[in-house]
Amino acid sequence: MDEFQAHEIRDRIKIDYKYTYGGQSKFFIELMKNKKLLGTKCTNPKCGKAWMPPRINCSECYSPAEWVEMKQTGVIMVSTIVWYTTSAFIKAIPYGIGFIKLDGADTALLQGIFSENLVPSKIKKGRRVKAVFSKEREGKMTDFFFVPEDEYENWINKPEYEGGV
Amino acid sequence: MRKVAIIGIGITPFRARYLDKTYFELAYDATKLALDDANKNGANITHKDLESTVYGIYNELFERQFMPDIFTNSYLGMNNKPGTRVATGGATGGYTVRMAYAEVASGLSDLCLCIGLEKCNDCYDEQTGVTTPEVLNAIAYSADMTYEYPMGMMAASSYVSMVNAHYEEFGNPTEEQMAYVSVKNHGNAMLNPKAQSPMEVTVEDVMNSRIICYPFKMLDCCLYSEASAALILAPEEKVKELGIEKPIWITGVAAANTDCFIGNREDMGRLYSNIFAAKAAYKMASLDYDKIKQQIDLAELHDAFSGQEVISYEELGFVPFGQGGPWIEKSFEKPGEGPWLDGELPCCPCGGLIGCGHAVGATGIMSTGEAALQLRGEAGQHQVKTIEHGRAISHSIGGPGAAYAAVIVMANEDGVK
Repeated sequence: MDEFQAHEIRDRIKIDYKYTYGGQSKFFIELMKNKKLLGTKCTNPKCGKAWMPPRINCSECYSPAEWVEMKQTGVIMVSTIVWYTTSAFIKAIPYGIGFIKLDGADTALLQGIFSENLVPSKIKKGRRVKAVFSKEREGKMTDFFFVPEDEYENWINKPEYEGGV
Repeated sequence: MRKVAIIGIGITPFRARYLDKTYFELAYDATKLALDDANKNGANITHKDLESTVYGIYNELFERQFMPDIFTNSYLGMNNKPGTRVATGGATGGYTVRMAYAEVASGLSDLCLCIGLEKCNDCYDEQTGVTTPEVLNAIAYSADMTYEYPMGMMAASSYVSMVNAHYEEFGNPTEEQMAYVSVKNHGNAMLNPKAQSPMEVTVEDVMNSRIICYPFKMLDCCLYSEASAALILAPEEKVKELGIEKPIWITGVAAANTDCFIGNREDMGRLYSNIFAAKAAYKMASLDYDKIKQQIDLAELHDAFSGQEVISYEELGFVPFGQGGPWIEKSFEKPGEGPWLDGELPCCPCGGLIGCGHAVGATGIMSTGEAALQLRGEAGQHQVKTIEHGRAISHSIGGPGAAYAAVIVMANEDGVK
């Protein structure tokens, strides 16, 4: 019998989008134009949940939520450092990411945590962080990141970054 | 609802890559194995007797096809009968069993094929010249695409978040405690000829393996796998009519979706989906969450990452919160204790995902089939010594932040009495 021989092909699935962020759009517009971090707050006084990332509807109580400007400081709830990852991010390793509860928010936002000394203890739970923005912003999550508060001045003095409002 | 039994079990070997099979060819192999098994078990049936199919297929990007189920349906010769796909991330297998159970319990079908399949390693990363980064990218598209994917979130960084939060709260699992899961499951896999990663490893080997995502190391993580697994389910009257010798009854099925945004959770160190699914499944099976460890003989858990297995010990009610890490660590080389193959409640006797590999859509069906084989006393070399209660559970988790969980409770004839 003939030895089995596999026939393999190179292929790619590719779809282009012009994707709308819908009701969340204001978050990205304000981020891009004004370096503001907008969350939302449920309008039901019995609920009042502050959502970050924002939702224009409250998933807890089914009331509308209104836009509120969040503070640009917060606390790390949990974090990790990624050393092996997807094809889309492998050139960026190692990178720190974590869930950050901004002051005033009830939920935590996943974001990049940058540090000049990227070790687990530097970005662990309870550390205070502050948002730093790219000078060139496109209205995407990658327009900003968080740094430990004691490194903030160093980061905003780098030519490609700046401080928030 | 009607009583439902597993009457046929078919599992292909879990391999890094099948160059000689497509996903639908793998599904054919598993179906044939399940039919053969049912017939060895007293039935005399062919695929023409199967009245419906529930397909567990997680990822379109793996299969390079957005409706893999209908092409599988054709290849299995199941035309002109209902076939429905279930896709719930890593928990796809468990949810598929749940829906196949519903198909039979409700009376919609008398014989239902419950099949999972996955073939991930046709993905290929041109820049590194290997498959894995592209497989991981295909999975990462399951993350929230607006806020989380752009941050480089992926399976390991998502799952490690719960483990790190759990560690902050309870001081465990430590890296060493997680390493024991790897030692156990790679070791159990050495007794399972269908496993992809049989290995004799030590805690030091795990600790010294390359860092993936702090503190997960290479040997804390399952490998992605290619495989198919199939079960044939039948109601009580069909079990009698066919003269099935060792039916394994599904006595509890439950699932829960918790918030997929980890940042929305009250306590990030919890696997809420697990406890909700477990409590509901145990209740359906008339078992007690607080005494479950004394009521079942084994558990096939979803150990995609070692740390998740440790937290699952707690969420599934085996040990109190904060005691999962010490439970495995302190029972090492102490027969009759802990989750080891010869322990008080063997967990992942087949090797789990760390030992067998993770063929995502097939995994939970493989683990359910493995638990059923254990209850029949037919698991082979990795058969647990004592089937005292005649009951076992399988457990599937998946999705962003382990948002999905399913728990299946099974019993042999002794276990349902």
